[in-house]
Amino acid sequence: MFKHLFKLIWNKKKQNFLLITEILVSFMVIFAVFTLIVNYYQNYRQPMGLDYERVWVINYQNRVEIKDRDSLKTYYDNLLRKISSMPYVQEASFASSNVPFSANTHMNGVDYKKIHVNSVNYYEAGDTYHKVLNMQVTEGRWFSRVDDAGKVKPIVINNSLRKELFGTGKAIGEQTGGKDSKRVVVGVVEDVKAKGDYQKAGTAMYERVDTSASGGRGRILLKVAPSADAAFESRVYKVMANDPMNSGIEIEHLADKRVSINKTTLVPMIILLIIAGFLVVNVALGLFGVLWYNISKRKGEIGLRRAVGASGASVSGQLVAESMILATLALIVGAFFAVQFPILNVFDLRASVYIIAILLSVMFIYLLVLVCALYPGRQAAAIYPAVALHEE
Amino acid sequence: MIRLQNIEKVYRTDTIQTLALNSINLDIEKGEFLSIMGPSGCGKSTLLNIMGLLDAPSKGSITIDSQDTASYSDKQLARFRNKKLGFIFQSYHLINDLQVLDNVELPLLYRDTTAKERRALATEALEKVGLSNRIKHFPTQLSGGQRQRVAIARAIVGKPEIILADEPTGNLDSAMGNEIMDILLQLNRTDGTTIVMVTHDQYMAQKTHRLVRLFDGSQVQ
Ligand SMILES: Nc1ncnc2c1ncn2[C@@H]1O[C@H](COP(=O)(O)OP(=O)(O)OP(=O)(O)O)[C@@H](O)[C@H]1O
Ligand SMILES: [Mg+2]
Repeated sequence: MFKHLFKLIWNKKKQNFLLITEILVSFMVIFAVFTLIVNYYQNYRQPMGLDYERVWVINYQNRVEIKDRDSLKTYYDNLLRKISSMPYVQEASFASSNVPFSANTHMNGVDYKKIHVNSVNYYEAGDTYHKVLNMQVTEGRWFSRVDDAGKVKPIVINNSLRKELFGTGKAIGEQTGGKDSKRVVVGVVEDVKAKGDYQKAGTAMYERVDTSASGGRGRILLKVAPSADAAFESRVYKVMANDPMNSGIEIEHLADKRVSINKTTLVPMIILLIIAGFLVVNVALGLFGVLWYNISKRKGEIGLRRAVGASGASVSGQLVAESMILATLALIVGAFFAVQFPILNVFDLRASVYIIAILLSVMFIYLLVLVCALYPGRQAAAIYPAVALHEE
Repeated sequence: MIRLQNIEKVYRTDTIQTLALNSINLDIEKGEFLSIMGPSGCGKSTLLNIMGLLDAPSKGSITIDSQDTASYSDKQLARFRNKKLGFIFQSYHLINDLQVLDNVELPLLYRDTTAKERRALATEALEKVGLSNRIKHFPTQLSGGQRQRVAIARAIVGKPEIILADEPTGNLDSAMGNEIMDILLQLNRTDGTTIVMVTHDQYMAQKTHRLVRLFDGSQVQ
């Protein structure tokens, strides 16, 4: 029977070509959507790598005109000490403007021997930054005063960067960078999803804020006690504002920033989903229409098959099977295109994302075709053979 | 072999009711060659469809091989048609997207047969109707007479006990018609196949064992 159906489809290849193309196009759209969803979902399943509750971000601008490095350092160390010593403040640290969940991104390349890693997230962080965010140090240590005396600047890297640079080898004590930008790895931390729940952490390196130089301290991160309230927040604000050199002060909550950065990921995705939804409905209606049309055009054939011994169930089974064969042909072509994505690594996504997306899309298309074929198939089975033959 | 009792068939559309058959009683013996005649629209095709269990009568009963067919399920009907009946339709009803051989094999697809057996039987049937040189053609590439012969090959391929033929020679010239008629007579004589044939041709009807005349849905002879 299978061979028979195949012959039938082959002999009608011109008519079937359009249907196959339609199924193919919808497969590609569905594949794109599933790739996105699977990617976001897999990222979502990864740990955040930090605690965002009760973490405040102080944004401020600073018109310090101190030229002398030592005085500059004294000024900033005092500012941080002032904030740290306030009640409710459990930890405080300077941070560069690309704090977690902010739209700011700083990136750098990193070299180690012959390995070059591009687009590494680059953060400047104070000695207690990891404590404010409760980041997990898995190897070595975070920065501390010990590093004041070091000849080579220390960096902390995340696990992803560690894997790319050192694989399973030793990381602590290794030196990265060229002659002028030498750094020594002093610690490794767990990955932090700094762009929200749905974006992957990527590679990251943390450098110690140098309060005697300019830059790298545009934000202050605070971990506050559970009882810290709005009144306390305004006190922090005042302390900052009372310093004549500060301006443009704004206090944000990391938890809110997380919500809003998640939105920037999800909103385009939801829009895409809606568009894809419309497309799928369109394709489903098209498929349904074509199958319906085919069946009404093939009434004579259906009647004849009934006359020579096909039961109603076998006629509707045949029509469904034909549609599934067409879907299979389209899916073979579609899968061939789809597997090029992981093979050629078109976008920087894990191969597993594509594989899962292909499997899901294949199931989705089969289900769609099945649903679209089932009803017309049933209708066909219900026609009396004499009526079907009569209408030809 | 086939017994029709008090068969009535009413077609209902939204506005009109057509009484296509009215109290038909008919007994057809095994091995009989029966012809049905009557003016156009008198219900000949309808009667044949009902005999072939392609349509259900509005009233009355059909007994085939002393089995009442009213209680048959859709599946049983399909099996029955497949095993016992062969149809030749007024308008051939070939599947244009299939080659001649595949068209002829069709009834066998709904049986337990291997591809090899199907091919052998279909080739044999095509030989009987003299078309073994056209097996790879598509129906649209054949003449009317050739198409009708394909339809006959399809009807006989499963070696049915009964053949129901609806004007098998209606669209053919007399030479071709005679040829087809000879094939049917041959089947009846050598294989003992029971044949019911609708025809407009008095001359063809005379060659059969018995003639039934219909007029306006009723049996008049
Ligand atoms: N499906 C149907 N719906 C409504 N009326 C029908 C249907 N099929 C047949 N009829 C009517 O039943 C009557 C008998 O039709 P049938 O096809 O049996 O005639 P026929 O004797 O075979 O005619 P012909 O010699 O032209 O083939 C006709 O009046 C026809 O209009
Ligand atoms: Mg007729």
